[in-house]
Amino acid sequence: MIFGLVQILLFQSLGELISQLLLPTLPGPVIGLVLLVLWLVIRKGVNAELAMVADGFSQHLGLLFIPAAVGVVLFLPQLKANAVAIISALVGSVVLTIAASALVARLLSKKTVHE
Amino acid sequence: MSNQHSIVEIWVYLSGSPLFALFITLAAYQVGLTIYKTSKQNPLANPVAIAILLVACTIQIIEMPYSTYFEGAQFIHFLLGSATVSLAIPIYRGLHSLKGRSIPLVFSLATGGLISIASAVGIATLLGADSSITGAMYPKSVTAPIAMGIAERIGVSPTLTAIFAVSTGILGAILAPFVLNALGIKAWWQRGFAIGVGAHGIGTSRAFSIHPEAGTYASLAMGLNGVISAVAVPVIYHLFNK
Repeated sequence: MIFGLVQILLFQSLGELISQLLLPTLPGPVIGLVLLVLWLVIRKGVNAELAMVADGFSQHLGLLFIPAAVGVVLFLPQLKANAVAIISALVGSVVLTIAASALVARLLSKKTVHE
Repeated sequence: MSNQHSIVEIWVYLSGSPLFALFITLAAYQVGLTIYKTSKQNPLANPVAIAILLVACTIQIIEMPYSTYFEGAQFIHFLLGSATVSLAIPIYRGLHSLKGRSIPLVFSLATGGLISIASAVGIATLLGADSSITGAMYPKSVTAPIAMGIAERIGVSPTLTAIFAVSTGILGAILAPFVLNALGIKAWWQRGFAIGVGAHGIGTSRAFSIHPEAGTYASLAMGLNGVISAVAVPVIYHLFNK
């Protein structure tokens, strides 16, 4: 587990370093993610310790949003004032996004099968 | 008297140290998980939503300022960056499923990503939401850790973005089966991928609990959407907000 964390933190630090020095438009962790994918492709495999840490993170990803999302208390008046717009935008957008992604995937996969 | 005095002292000590914030965050999440399990994984009983509600109510009741809470809870918040990096593993595992289906998947992702931004920002603007709200709508279909990173870059509130992202995930997990059934989408990989594009992390864990193939494609969609959005959303945002 420790070795897994060391690898994650190493790639996170590399990402932050590149973000600070070369690519300020991209968040450091995203650069770290891309570098780690490339590393895994080169190495052709995920070692067990890294897999364990990654699975732990993805299983409890939700826990990590809580501190920021509790900031909702600061925005309550603003959220109430815009409640109708926010709820309509979120519901409408979710339905349209899922529908569009699924339809495009089905449409294009049928075409490739027929050709 | 002296007994009461020492309780106050202990309270002052506890509320000043990170211990209290860490404790209520983890305890609230545990309560959320327990409710989720006892409700047989009902998507309405989302553990994260329950935990946010519990912590928000608790700090309101004890009149703890949010900044004090966050000072303690930032140790959990910090791990978002590490969690983002660890998304590399599901992306890597999903890469081989891209083969042979890369064209439908890439176009599905691009269409979904653009429609997500256009519809959310469009509907919110039409209904008169102010610019801080519409700004935070841009990255809302991206998995929350990356969405918050994007929010910081484009100068909108990461908190509002996190709230919208989490709500999107919950809504997507609830609504996706109805939408996909109504459209007659049957293939698991198409269903999973669409859920990953539209409802990122929470949708993905829901997809995994329904079918492993749907889950793999959902996590691939979530990861790719996150990486591409980190590049594209700031560009799109600056195009419309000069």
